[in-house]
Amino acid sequence: MDYAADTGGRFKGVTIVKPIVYGNIARYFGKKREEDGHTHQWTVYVKPYRNEDMSSYVKKVHFKLHDSYANPNRVVSKPPYEVTETGWGEFEIVIKIYFLDQNERPMTLYHALKLFQTGPDVMLVKKTLVSEFYEEIVFQDPTLQMQSYLSTTHPLTIGPWKHETDFEEKKEKTLQNILNAKNKIRYEIADLKDRLKLAKETIAKFKGEIGKVQISNPAISNNGASL
Amino acid sequence: MADVRDILELERPPTPEITKEAILGVSEKKKIKPKKAHEPMKRPEGMHRELFALLYTDNMDAAPIFPTDTGQGYKQMKAKLGMRKVRPWKWMPFTNPARKDGAVFHHWRRVADEGKEYPFAQFNKQVNIPTYTDNEYRAALATGVPGVTAGGPEGWSREETDHLMDLCRRFDLRFPVIHDRWDRSQFPERSVEDLKERYYEICSLLAVLRGQETKTYVFDADHERRRKEQLRRLFDRTPDQIEEEQTLLNELRKIEARKKEREKKTQDLQKLITAADSQVESRKAERKVNKKKLLHHPLRPRPDATAVETAGIKFPDFKSTGVSLRSQRMKLPASVGQKKTKAIEHLLHELNIELNPMPTEEISIHFNELRSDMVLLYELKTALATCEFELQTLRHQYEALNPGKTLAIPTSVSSVADKSLATSSSSTVTSGGQQGLPVGAVTDAQKQQKPISEIIDVVGSPGTPPGVACS
Repeated sequence: MDYAADTGGRFKGVTIVKPIVYGNIARYFGKKREEDGHTHQWTVYVKPYRNEDMSSYVKKVHFKLHDSYANPNRVVSKPPYEVTETGWGEFEIVIKIYFLDQNERPMTLYHALKLFQTGPDVMLVKKTLVSEFYEEIVFQDPTLQMQSYLSTTHPLTIGPWKHETDFEEKKEKTLQNILNAKNKIRYEIADLKDRLKLAKETIAKFKGEIGKVQISNPAISNNGASL
Repeated sequence: MADVRDILELERPPTPEITKEAILGVSEKKKIKPKKAHEPMKRPEGMHRELFALLYTDNMDAAPIFPTDTGQGYKQMKAKLGMRKVRPWKWMPFTNPARKDGAVFHHWRRVADEGKEYPFAQFNKQVNIPTYTDNEYRAALATGVPGVTAGGPEGWSREETDHLMDLCRRFDLRFPVIHDRWDRSQFPERSVEDLKERYYEICSLLAVLRGQETKTYVFDADHERRRKEQLRRLFDRTPDQIEEEQTLLNELRKIEARKKEREKKTQDLQKLITAADSQVESRKAERKVNKKKLLHHPLRPRPDATAVETAGIKFPDFKSTGVSLRSQRMKLPASVGQKKTKAIEHLLHELNIELNPMPTEEISIHFNELRSDMVLLYELKTALATCEFELQTLRHQYEALNPGKTLAIPTSVSSVADKSLATSSSSTVTSGGQQGLPVGAVTDAQKQQKPISEIIDVVGSPGTPPGVACS
């Protein structure tokens, strides 16, 4: 590749996918703190799904907290990309990921900070709450510079890299669910289609019958026409 | 040009100014003021341009502060209008040729026109009313020449005919006037059409008798009578009748609109069925291709899987360069309406699928296809509901036409909603009460019995056509 083209040049037809996990964990103090009324400590984070160092292509991550925090704009420029705070309420955190190559525009994620258990887990007296999501950043036709950043990644830790949520299992389950649903819908589409065909033929038949009656008995044909 | 000169502050040529003097034709007297060579006045600092422009106009003369128009104005000027000589008029006598008595009147007229004929005489058109001799009357008019009936049931006598022709001559064929002046004491009452009929009959008969090749008017008295009768009836309508006619016309329009709509729906239906056919088949073919491609290029995003979608949702093609999030590709396009979005959400909920599932490549493809299929299902269901409605309507129509007989709607057409809903709800009660199964188990059982399409609430689908009960 010609190096002179590194400003605007892009790898056509190349797609690089970087899976990430973002979300928050929260821990209940067990009581309301006297001085400020805070009840939880939480950490919002963005981390790679695979064991790789994101700083090789990410310049900084910008977390925008609720305006009631002292300085709501928190910028993290090296891993771990996370912000730990205490609070008493849930709100939406805007996470903006800036890339090393400025030619690739930043990506914005929205995460609803979760502190309180809901749904079927509400009865569980678990101290720590996890609300994290899988996401994929897709680099379509990356710039030459970005491509080199993206392909040189180092492992983040030597030990095993795992997440609070078993995303592999979830992936399997979701996919299976969707495929099953798809089959079901397909089946019903076929069924409905046949019924529709039959209905159409019947309509034609009925119309024919009515036409016959109208011809044989034109005197009353006006009565039915108003329908 | 002058503007450009002004802008460049060049000397203006002294001519092209339009003033009152120029218009009134005294421009010779106007003395051309020698232009003073004035220094361009600079706009003082801080003064608005508009204000400066008021003080100093284009030629940099100060604006006058008292009236400067000291000329004589309009007082002594004579307007010069029309340069031709006056044509004299004269009070002169004239006769009107339309008058038989030769009366002489006077009027003003241009001298040049003296002796010419009275100009309005040309409008005195005379109608040529045919005359007939006794012989002619006896030969043709009294009995009629073969083929043309004269006399007829009304029986025109010689006197009556004479009277008619006399009136025709006097009133220049103004038949309403003739009808008005008809001598009702001597002759029976005749309508305008009767009079016209007789007159034109005489004209044509005489023409035939004399062998003239003049064009004869064919007067269709019957048609004329019918036409007038029609007009009279139209005029005599009561407000109620007019209103009724209006409502009937509106009804007719509605019926026609409905008919059109139905025809359109039938066409749409055919399209939908074709779409359903091709959808299922093309998808199968695509799937195979996809799998192969995916194996070879694990990094390649989505092969052209959803590019050829005939019905359902058209997801935008994410081929543009740059960074994007995978979850963005699962966003429903704005073209999917609210009703459909609701239906999709409902279905996903029923099928236990997250509204925003994990955005891997495979899942996003299948998830999009799934929702596209759901929309197709929704459309099919709507179409089927319409068909059912139409079938019922047609059946009732048939029953009304042919009392005592009916048409059988195939049971497989109609949805099995009522049946399955009934069973599922009863099973909920029994199983929940007796066996004490966990809530999840009941809903699962329920779901297996109930077809998914039943979940879709086709809004506005009429179960039974209105008015069925009373017909």
